Amino acid sequence: MSAITLHNVVKKYGAVQVVHGVDLDIAEGEFVVLLGPSGCGKTTTLRMVAGLEDVSGGTLSIGGQVVNDVAPKDRGVAMVFQNYALYPHMSVRQNMEFALRPMKLGKAEMDRRIAQTAGILGLDALLERRPAQLSGGQRQRVAMGRAMVRTPKVFLFDEPLSNLDAKLRTQVRWEIGKLHQRLGTTVLYVTHDQVEAMTLADKIVIMRDGHVEQVGTPEEVYAAPKSTFVATFIGSPSMNMIETRATGGRLVADGLSIPVPTRFGDRVKDGQEVTLGIRPIEIQRVAENAPGAMAARVEVTEYLGNEALLDLRVGSHDLMAEVPADQRAAPGETVHVRLNETALHLFDTRSGRSLAQ
Amino acid sequence: MNKLSTRQTILIYLALGVVLIVFLMPIYLIASSSLKPSPIMFQKPPAFLFAPTFEHYQDLFAMRPFGKFILNSLIVALGSTAFSLTIGSLAAYAISRIRHKRMNDVAFWILSMRMFPPIAVVVPYYIIFKTAGLLDTPLALIIVYSTANIPLTVWLMKGFFDEVPIALEEAAAVDGYGLLETFLRVTLPLAAPGLAVSAVFCFIFSWNEFLFALMLTGSEAQTATVAVMSFWSSDAVQWGRIMAGSFIILIPGVIFVLTCQRWLVRGLTMGSVK
Repeated sequence: MSAITLHNVVKKYGAVQVVHGVDLDIAEGEFVVLLGPSGCGKTTTLRMVAGLEDVSGGTLSIGGQVVNDVAPKDRGVAMVFQNYALYPHMSVRQNMEFALRPMKLGKAEMDRRIAQTAGILGLDALLERRPAQLSGGQRQRVAMGRAMVRTPKVFLFDEPLSNLDAKLRTQVRWEIGKLHQRLGTTVLYVTHDQVEAMTLADKIVIMRDGHVEQVGTPEEVYAAPKSTFVATFIGSPSMNMIETRATGGRLVADGLSIPVPTRFGDRVKDGQEVTLGIRPIEIQRVAENAPGAMAARVEVTEYLGNEALLDLRVGSHDLMAEVPADQRAAPGETVHVRLNETALHLFDTRSGRSLAQ
Repeated sequence: MNKLSTRQTILIYLALGVVLIVFLMPIYLIASSSLKPSPIMFQKPPAFLFAPTFEHYQDLFAMRPFGKFILNSLIVALGSTAFSLTIGSLAAYAISRIRHKRMNDVAFWILSMRMFPPIAVVVPYYIIFKTAGLLDTPLALIIVYSTANIPLTVWLMKGFFDEVPIALEEAAAVDGYGLLETFLRVTLPLAAPGLAVSAVFCFIFSWNEFLFALMLTGSEAQTATVAVMSFWSSDAVQWGRIMAGSFIILIPGVIFVLTCQRWLVRGLTMGSVK
């Protein structure tokens, strides 16, 4: 059974529509990440699931029950807020108790759950402190603890790591992943950070301007992006995009001419404007006389230790290449590179949609 | 902050001393006059050293049921404060949270209640309460004072509610609490300093008020402020008793403010949200 189902869910503020017919099916125990730039509607979608925003259209179900008009308190969800939203006038223990009280469990069971959760999250020593006396990372864990004690059907996370510094973020991210493995609860997680999405998700939902651009596993969205938006959004450094025109079975642009890979078959029409995408790691340095070699001028070199990023100029196009550090070249040098043909992504320039099957 | 030099410290204490004298002088005059024997009351230069007497206090309670008037004042002041805080904070919460383009107009309309001169409504109030049979009852004064106290409470509390992050209420909603419970357990405790400030203002206004108390009460519901003035007649002004009454009137206000003071702390919402 699906844990959460969104069917054609719409959100409007007056005349302004911010979420356009989102369809989504989240299986029991699945870790789903809503990913997209700010203003793409991901947080609004999450808040609709939580019941903090009305659903303007479509149906939203949790555990098979339509919850469009069900109050947040009756949805069986727990949420971790971006800014933690801890009750400042209560200690850590009281914060967790407050979340448990509506469940009417009895004192002994409440204490047992709080002790257990505090143990898992390493909060034992902090239980009597107030939120103001905690560090950012500790507050984050209290916020998760407050959600966890209730053993909800669904966990909702709203950019939970965005207020932490980089080092702590990696650590808490790892803890969230571990927690999900341990508890197996369904998770809906909002972030604009692709690293969080890639590392945590079973399934990534990429959103843009209130639409779902693509739904897939991290591998799928990385290896087979369905649009130029997804292609450039996922992966770091981001995918190179070159606008070309299909001419006589070749993709032609200034300083560049490559045969259309056969796997695209007849989906590339002669004269069609095609955007060619290639990840920096798929551009290799080759000898001048190697098949498919192109001359490129090195503009900037960024040394990263293991590898180096080369900012290349091919004709009138800028390309980023990621090469092993020992293959780096000095700025101003001319090198020869080849685009890995099996890793080429082709998109229709007009629609931005992928031309792959 | 830089550490102050000795000279700066002395100057600050001197300035504070002047301010203290200005504010405490009237209180000293009231207290000393209430204890002075009548013959030396207006002696010049004033007698700073004298054998204190409690005769004025004894007269005060012997000649009038002053205890009852104090009780009336307490009933009216506490009643109006409680009523105004209840209604005012609920209204303020609504104004703070409901997003509507005319909400500012509503807030201003409530504030405008405080703008008309009280003297203009004394007679209408008198007629209304006479018709309703409420003349000379504490309830009449509670109603009248609340019409002034509620707008003040609404404006003060709105500011405090605006400061309470909505995320906290959303967290409570997801945690399983309804609107009223969230308000009572999360929002209101965090706006406690606002409640304390409002309570002080409401209490002091109701406690000190004179005009309506004079016009709307007789012998039964008379408040202490009016009672003290009854020692001022065309024949004689009994300063000793007036001063004794005034000094007693000062005390509850001070106690009330000191009680509320422990809630007057800043930064209650610190640590809740980033």
